[in-house]
Amino acid sequence: MGQNQSNIPGAPGGGKKDDGKKKEKKWEQPLPTRVGKKKKKGQMRSTSCLRLKLLKNERIKDFLLLEEEFVQNQERLKPQDEKNQEERSRVDELRGTPMNVGSLEEIIDDDHAIISSVGGTEYYVSIMSYVDKDLLEPSGSILLHHKNLAVVGVLADDADPMVSVMKLEKAPTESYADVGGLDQQIQEIKEAVELPLTHPELYEEMGIKPPKGVILFGPPGTGKTLLAKAVANQTSATFLRVVGSELIQKYLGEGPKLVRELFRVAEENAPSIVFIDEIDAVGTKRYDSNSGGEREIQRTMLELLNQLDGFDSRGDVKVIMATNRIDSLDPALIRPGRIDRKIEFPLPDIKTKRRIFNIHTSRMTLGDDVNFEDFIMAKDDLSGADVKAICTEAGLLALRERRMKVVGEDFKKAKEKVLYRKNEGTPEGLYI
Amino acid sequence: MTKEIAKPAATEPKDVKMGESSTAAAAKKDVKDPKKKDDDDELSEEDQKLKDELEMLVVRLQESNTSLHKPALESLRTLIRTSTSSMTSVPKPLKFLRPHYYELQAVYEKWPKSENKLFLADIISVLAMSYDDGKRDCLKYRFLGASEPVGSWGHEYVRHLASELIVEYNARAETGDASEATPKDVTPQTPTSDLIKLALEIVPFCLKHNAEADACDLLLELESLHKLPEFVDKDTFGRVCLYIVSMVPYVAPPDDLAILKTARSIYRAQGEWTRSILISLRINDLELVKEDYESCEDPLTKKQLAFICARQQVFFETGDETITEILNNTKLSENFMALARDLDVVEAKTPEDIYKTHLENSRHGSSAANVDSARQNLASTFVNAFVNIGFGSDKLMMNSEDASNSWIYKNKDLGMMSAAASLGAILLWDVEVGLTEIDKFLYSTDDNIKAGALLAIGLVSSGVRHESDPALGLLTEHVNSTTSVHRVAAIVGLGIAYAGSAREEVQELLLPLISDTGLTMELSSLAALALGMVYVGTCNGDIASTILQTLMERDDETLKSSWGRFMGVGLGLLFLGKQDASEATLETLKVIENPLAKLVGVIVDVLSYIGTGNVLKIQSMLHLCNDHLDKEKEDDSFQAFAVLGIALIAMGEEVGAEMALRTFNHLMHYGEPVIRRSVPLALGVLCASNPLVNVLDILSKYSHDHDTDVALNAVFAMGLVGAGTNNARLAQMLRQLAVYYYKNPNVLFVVRVSQGLVHMGKGTVTLNPFHSNKTLLSPVAVSGLITVLTAFTDAKTFIVDKAQAHYLLYFLVPSAYPRFLMTLDENLKNLAVTVRVGQAVDTVGQAGRPKTITGFQTHSTPVLLAYSERAELATEEYISVGTTLEGFVILKKNPEWMEEDSKDAAK
Repeated sequence: MGQNQSNIPGAPGGGKKDDGKKKEKKWEQPLPTRVGKKKKKGQMRSTSCLRLKLLKNERIKDFLLLEEEFVQNQERLKPQDEKNQEERSRVDELRGTPMNVGSLEEIIDDDHAIISSVGGTEYYVSIMSYVDKDLLEPSGSILLHHKNLAVVGVLADDADPMVSVMKLEKAPTESYADVGGLDQQIQEIKEAVELPLTHPELYEEMGIKPPKGVILFGPPGTGKTLLAKAVANQTSATFLRVVGSELIQKYLGEGPKLVRELFRVAEENAPSIVFIDEIDAVGTKRYDSNSGGEREIQRTMLELLNQLDGFDSRGDVKVIMATNRIDSLDPALIRPGRIDRKIEFPLPDIKTKRRIFNIHTSRMTLGDDVNFEDFIMAKDDLSGADVKAICTEAGLLALRERRMKVVGEDFKKAKEKVLYRKNEGTPEGLYI
Repeated sequence: MTKEIAKPAATEPKDVKMGESSTAAAAKKDVKDPKKKDDDDELSEEDQKLKDELEMLVVRLQESNTSLHKPALESLRTLIRTSTSSMTSVPKPLKFLRPHYYELQAVYEKWPKSENKLFLADIISVLAMSYDDGKRDCLKYRFLGASEPVGSWGHEYVRHLASELIVEYNARAETGDASEATPKDVTPQTPTSDLIKLALEIVPFCLKHNAEADACDLLLELESLHKLPEFVDKDTFGRVCLYIVSMVPYVAPPDDLAILKTARSIYRAQGEWTRSILISLRINDLELVKEDYESCEDPLTKKQLAFICARQQVFFETGDETITEILNNTKLSENFMALARDLDVVEAKTPEDIYKTHLENSRHGSSAANVDSARQNLASTFVNAFVNIGFGSDKLMMNSEDASNSWIYKNKDLGMMSAAASLGAILLWDVEVGLTEIDKFLYSTDDNIKAGALLAIGLVSSGVRHESDPALGLLTEHVNSTTSVHRVAAIVGLGIAYAGSAREEVQELLLPLISDTGLTMELSSLAALALGMVYVGTCNGDIASTILQTLMERDDETLKSSWGRFMGVGLGLLFLGKQDASEATLETLKVIENPLAKLVGVIVDVLSYIGTGNVLKIQSMLHLCNDHLDKEKEDDSFQAFAVLGIALIAMGEEVGAEMALRTFNHLMHYGEPVIRRSVPLALGVLCASNPLVNVLDILSKYSHDHDTDVALNAVFAMGLVGAGTNNARLAQMLRQLAVYYYKNPNVLFVVRVSQGLVHMGKGTVTLNPFHSNKTLLSPVAVSGLITVLTAFTDAKTFIVDKAQAHYLLYFLVPSAYPRFLMTLDENLKNLAVTVRVGQAVDTVGQAGRPKTITGFQTHSTPVLLAYSERAELATEEYISVGTTLEGFVILKKNPEWMEEDSKDAAK
């Protein structure tokens, strides 16, 4: 606004020299409308400058008290109820009955919009002057006049169908307590994902931007998804989860669109956490490909790149990705700024294995001779999932023999079974 | 306050998750609780070891073997200090020691006085941080302890201690008050010196560790801010001062003055003269300003200080010729023209360029136009004056060779006066050229033209000082002329020309006019107004008493005249921003029993608290608006000023300004017509030259109000809000209004004037009285605005219809100032450098070196700055002498700067 000196061509108030000569009507670009844009919500809290904030808030309170006093006095002196009633009924009259419900597609200017009615057909209609335009948002529900379909009201609802698909309605039951070990990883993910949402002031005070996202990687069965579930369980932020493969769609452009939609929803419902499992489905390294399908997948990834650290900054949206093949991912995807923290999930060490065994067997009735130390100390590469499988298998074996107790023998057999299955197909000892 | 931060981190056990705001989350927590017990059993080995060790240490402390105590305490301390914790959880040692807190306390009580006891007190003090039960144990044991440096336990501890200090201090102050109230109670007031002593230990720690705000908070709470300057050094002073100064509008007097003085002494100690002079100007004390000026050694900085004073129109005698020239604003016109050339807006504009009638969606064709051509021509006169303000050329007044055919003669009666006076606005600040141009009209035989020329002389010299005082010389003889229109013009001209200068000659000249009851109310009031402007904010007793005397002596009938309100404005301006200095006057006004006295009282009250954001005053203004008066029986015009008062008091302070908007909404809803009429004006002054979209929306709605007076004022307010911005949205709205009101000559006239205002100075000037980062209120600018608003509170009498006082619109001229940033080199020549201009960001209390602007664009100076914009230098070649990049800024070469090439060469 500040720099519009009068001589910018085309700008109103400028470009006068030739205007004067030809008086015919010249088209002037209409002004962009102010309403109908998405609103930003949420405010950063900070622990600094507390007294100043207190003073400011006290000032606001003072003003509100003044207002209250004034309004009360006025209501006492000159009740407005009747007038309000009258105005209300006039508005109702203008609204007419019955009203239709439609959805707002786009706002054209200050008093016109494109709406779609129940049938899906779209209309260009006017917005009544008494509609509170600040409440209008694209894709919101609106009330329409039954004849001319003019917008006569706004339905305030917050249920967006798009969200409900991806949004996690019910928090998973797994919590951090169900994760054996991984203390380091839990701390890292907490710092990168949870804390920026709950305590943004810590980062502000430190003068750093909180990380945008993390990637969890490591061999299968080491608890990547489990930890993500625990995060979902812990947080009250919106948790959106998708699997990489979901982002691959049949038609061209559908995949990128879905990614955009996903992040749009995430931003609307901020603070939110987006969890993309098996990211290698879309995030593999780019290479020249002739197949349209491949290219589409790459385009989907490019959209993802843009959403992660593109031109528009996402507010309180944190991204967690999980993969077990980080080496095959495109370097652009996991560069700092998009994914600030790479959290490795190694195979559990001895101590961790013990805790995992404890977690999984805590509800089993075990025989006296059960001793996990053998399994724990063994040099086999047991992952968390393997341990779980062993415990389950041992339970099944005990069930087969109709015992109510799981004995040491069961575990031994179970381990052999599980490990045999795990190593199946790999030519053992070929290279020795 | 600090307590609230320390607590969540300190008291929540580690596993309790964070951010549980929803009920669902709370439910989850309940489920988890039984599980937690299991967790305790499952401590990892290291934790278990730590826990055992700590417990062992506690047990050892409880034992009687004193020789073991010292090493036990030592190891406790190392354990606590070395424990690193994640940000969310309590350090583990503290967590494990929690259950033993009371045991340790008991141990402490048992021990005899010894070194170890002090040591233990320290440790208990730290533990108390996680065991907060409102007893302020942390502080208690801190005092009992060995008084190690506070910082040694980490900043969390320091914060906690600070919060307990504040609570303790307040508690003691309360008991102190109570004992004072009951004199029987002989207990002396609890001394707080120990608390202050501890606070003074904490403050340097905070300052060193990027917690300047905390340090200031602590000292403010302990009412010892004056101790701050001794701790502040060159790294911290900037942020400390920024923080405390931003608090000024929100604290009750006299604290605000104390804060400003502290900030000033810090700046002075650091040799930041350009900043300290801003504070001195804000304190509004000429002696302090002079002191700052004298203490400054550097001649270049002195010049910059002079520029800052010149913007505020403060003048003092210095021996230096260049400085005097700067203070006189002599070069303002020259520089403004340079800006115009740089922006390529020298070409004069005609009113038609502004109206753009070809864009008006006229349904009536052009035949309906010019219902009242004299009125239209008058509007064009004003538009022409405002649009070409200060440019020294136009297409209506100065173009025609043939004097008889000039634009002046297209106006009637007083319209001719306004037309002639418009020359003064066009030639604003350029006294020498201006006088020669105006000269020819001075000998006109037409009284109105001659009066216009007199007014023009006043206008030309507004804001600038001239050695030979042409305005005084030329206007003096006409003050007592026999033609009343000459007298009016001369009085108004003097008022505008010498606004803010407190010239005694003017006082001598005009004072008799005020007290002369034989004169018309118009002349007396204008004389009072002019003197008010000249002596703005000086609390001059002679003038005040003369005005009061007149109010008492004049008979009620003459006082009923609408002109009386200008007398009130004149009186009020004397006390502008002086807060309680006006109390004696207000008391006197209460005694005077005539309808005008109440009105004048409101005006004086408002003006003395202008821009302070004082909530109590706003409250009293709202109370005035409460009553629904019957216009037939009582005079209700004071309510109009009460409404304006809310805006004037609240402006200049963000929170207040925003909340005032809400208040106006209610006033509009419930108010009587007189209140509703002044609400748009209040909005206009609140956001002068600051076209906020929401305010425009509100005004646009009011401009279609069924009460034409409301609509008229709303239209004018739109002009004020957009003044000098070239705002396209506003221009379009006004064009639509021009069509809408094509049949109503009054509103149409105001629409045209507003259009002129929006394009004022072709978009290069501002009417906003705040400058220098919105910290300083220019008294002259605000007095001009107030005068015009006063005229619009009774627009029918002064501006529109058959009214003949439209020349009052020229009071906007002293409010206008170029909204530019002009960089000068050491010889005060223009210097083009690149600067970044962007939206100003509030950087109070932010960590590091935050950006001061956002969304910037790079320009080359001179540049224009909008209301919410700020500039910063984009080149490192120069260093700016001034700290706020606004108006005139002197740059000097950066001695460390090297050109890129030479840098490479050096390598």
